[in-house]
Amino acid sequence: MTPVSTTGPAAGAAAPGSEAPPPAQPKAGGGSLLSRVPDVTPLVVLLVALGIFFSIQSPFFFNYDNFLNVLTAAAITGIIAAPATLLLVAGQFDLSVGSGLTFCGVVMAYVADKDGILVGIIAAVAAGLVIGTVNGFLVTVVGVNPLITTLATLAAFAGLASVIADGQTLPLTGFSGLGTSRPFFNIPLPVIIFAVVVIGFYVLMRYTVIGRSMYAIGANPVAARLSGLRTGRLIFIGFLLSGTFVALAALVNVSQLSAASTQAGTGLELSVVTAVVLGGASLAGGRGTIIGTLFGLLVIAVLNNGLTLLSVNSFWQDVARGTLLALAVSFDQLRLRLTRE
Amino acid sequence: MTAPFQLQVRGIRKAFGGVEVLHGVDLDAPGGAVLALLGENGAGKSTLVKIIAGDYQPDAGTVTIGGEELAALTPLTAREHGVRMIFQELADAPTLTVAENISLGRWPKRGPFIRWEVVRRRAREVLDQLGVALDLDAPVGSLPVGERQVVEIARALSDQARCLILDEPTAALSAQETERLFGFVRRLREQGTSLIYITHRLDEVREIADRVAVLRDGDVALEGNAAELDRAEIVAAMVGRDIGEVKRPAPPRAVAAEPVLRFRGASVRGAFDDVALDVRPGEVVALYGKLGSGTSEVAESAFGLHALSGGELEVSGRTVKLRDPADAITAGIGLLPADRQREGAFLVRSVAENLAAPSWWSMRAGGLFLSDRREAAAYARWHDALRIRSRNDPSQPLGTLSGGNQQKVLLGRWLERRSRVLLLIEPTRGVDVGARQEIYRAIRELAADGVGVLVATSDYEEVVQLADRAVVMARGRITAELDGDDITTQRLTEEVGG
Repeated sequence: MTPVSTTGPAAGAAAPGSEAPPPAQPKAGGGSLLSRVPDVTPLVVLLVALGIFFSIQSPFFFNYDNFLNVLTAAAITGIIAAPATLLLVAGQFDLSVGSGLTFCGVVMAYVADKDGILVGIIAAVAAGLVIGTVNGFLVTVVGVNPLITTLATLAAFAGLASVIADGQTLPLTGFSGLGTSRPFFNIPLPVIIFAVVVIGFYVLMRYTVIGRSMYAIGANPVAARLSGLRTGRLIFIGFLLSGTFVALAALVNVSQLSAASTQAGTGLELSVVTAVVLGGASLAGGRGTIIGTLFGLLVIAVLNNGLTLLSVNSFWQDVARGTLLALAVSFDQLRLRLTRE
Repeated sequence: MTAPFQLQVRGIRKAFGGVEVLHGVDLDAPGGAVLALLGENGAGKSTLVKIIAGDYQPDAGTVTIGGEELAALTPLTAREHGVRMIFQELADAPTLTVAENISLGRWPKRGPFIRWEVVRRRAREVLDQLGVALDLDAPVGSLPVGERQVVEIARALSDQARCLILDEPTAALSAQETERLFGFVRRLREQGTSLIYITHRLDEVREIADRVAVLRDGDVALEGNAAELDRAEIVAAMVGRDIGEVKRPAPPRAVAAEPVLRFRGASVRGAFDDVALDVRPGEVVALYGKLGSGTSEVAESAFGLHALSGGELEVSGRTVKLRDPADAITAGIGLLPADRQREGAFLVRSVAENLAAPSWWSMRAGGLFLSDRREAAAYARWHDALRIRSRNDPSQPLGTLSGGNQQKVLLGRWLERRSRVLLLIEPTRGVDVGARQEIYRAIRELAADGVGVLVATSDYEEVVQLADRAVVMARGRITAELDGDDITTQRLTEEVGG
């Protein structure tokens, strides 16, 4: 097969429209009607469909308290998925978030036990920044592929966490407020934090120079550099943000459990990537939104919640999540092909 | 092979996504003749030749190759019938060597083993024929774009083609390399090969083609013998209207001001040596040379992409050290890279973002916040000034515009940034005639506004048409400087050397 030139069919198809005032812009533009439909529409439809299905199947699904359960379950993943969306939009990955959560949690519990809660919090945030710095350094200065880099740090920091905790679960008392308090309307604090993080990243990605630059880097890193964007610095910032919010998620997690487990973050990277990709962020970079990720998170959380209410074995929930990821990635490929042709 | 080879296309129709781009096209490409296939980008040329090469299936119509009507033409059957195509965009394997690329897909084998000595011999023979000296063991990806194209031409030539489709093969070649290629085209024609030659350079048509077919909006707008058609007739058929070609402003305009960009004995190791060059405000200076002569590196070094190993660079009279493009942009320099799609464009992002990217920091509404409104306003401003043909919707993805219009958006970047120096590398490669004139016009207007323009190009027509002053380079050194009316195809060809 010969790699078909990108100018060929696209130019051929776009031409009738671009020569004169366009009568009907074909293809990519031809989605003029279709492109007006927000990208998240299929997800919203899926979410509603799941909601209706579970409401019929289970009497416990459709009520306020259960909705709060769903949101609480999505909170930890969500706090991490926000910076992950920013990174993926710039064409970067952070797989180290799972072990990062474990590591920061263990550091928190370990230090807090000796020097008090406040120092513990500072240590946990510092731990998150260390992870971000290592990732950022390897990717932007040394130039290692982000997948490989963060796969390496995923393994390394999981190991480090076990070393510090000596393989044990570290108990921590007197720090349950962050994870379990319900300041108003019975809404758990983690859900509120989740909401604030999502809004913050929405603003960052939609309205700031940094957000715009991330999209540009993901769309074409060479062109971004030639447009004067300091691409290395921006990607570094992305990894630092990821590390910081991993630390925040770790604090919430430790607080919820009143303990730091060496298994706390196992598999979290899969949930995060699933949510972000399901939310429409392109693996090729340059496309994706926080709103998409939010709905991706909700779909996964509702699915897990509903299946639990129906007493489906939790192993099947893993199967469902994996299938969802495969579907989301296939959908991304399909869309890429459609926009290219 | 008693009857002469014949390739016939009858009533070809093809639609993409409900929009028909070919409306029943007939075409004859007899053996022993060169058919020039002309038309603006999007006229349907690429689609048509891809149908002949079996890449696309037509919705209606037939392709007859050597008397055999082929119902279901696939890339494989097209190949078997001797159809070979050289794509405008590189279709090589960058990590394989020159020799390997030439034998790619048709390995000489003994049992399951590749006969490497044959691979090398084949490569050497065809490169000798072409008169090109290339390292057979160099990975193709390490060569400049122009030489990679030579490798692709070599690959098709070494693979006995009966019908050879050349899609803008000379876009990246110098005058000499073009002559050399023409030598080959003529030889193949004598051997009875049918040649379909797609080009944007009308001068070439007269020189090489026997027949001319012009496509416009999916129809054959003009067909005839090359010798009987004049240039204006062909252009009118392509564009569907009369376009005035941009003329260089009358004799050397006195530009007195201080240079905005000055190289003083500048060198970059392995690329160019001891370059002294001035660009004054309001002046278009062409840096002309073959690929690999160092012209693009000179321009790139003024954009912080190569550190000078010797000499100095001055911007508006001040010596500068540019560490990266961000430095260069701050100093008031803009650059339009040669490979638009790979180095310039954010195809999936909106036209407004594409145009505004270098100006984001100066466009802020406060803090880190960016104003969508200012971005859209910037696009609206340059959309009209540059005559960009689009829906005039700032959120339209850049990838949906034609090549020429994409180039205009990228040019608009530096207008919005108010750059005082503009570096252009092969600005009209792969851009069609109409859009090319508009880009030239935009460049002239920029110069008239006082911008200093440096154009690194291997297209001599471009130099003749556009430049106030031409600096000729060969093997990393300046060999001549031509002024005003001295800039002629002949002088350029002489100075650039063999």
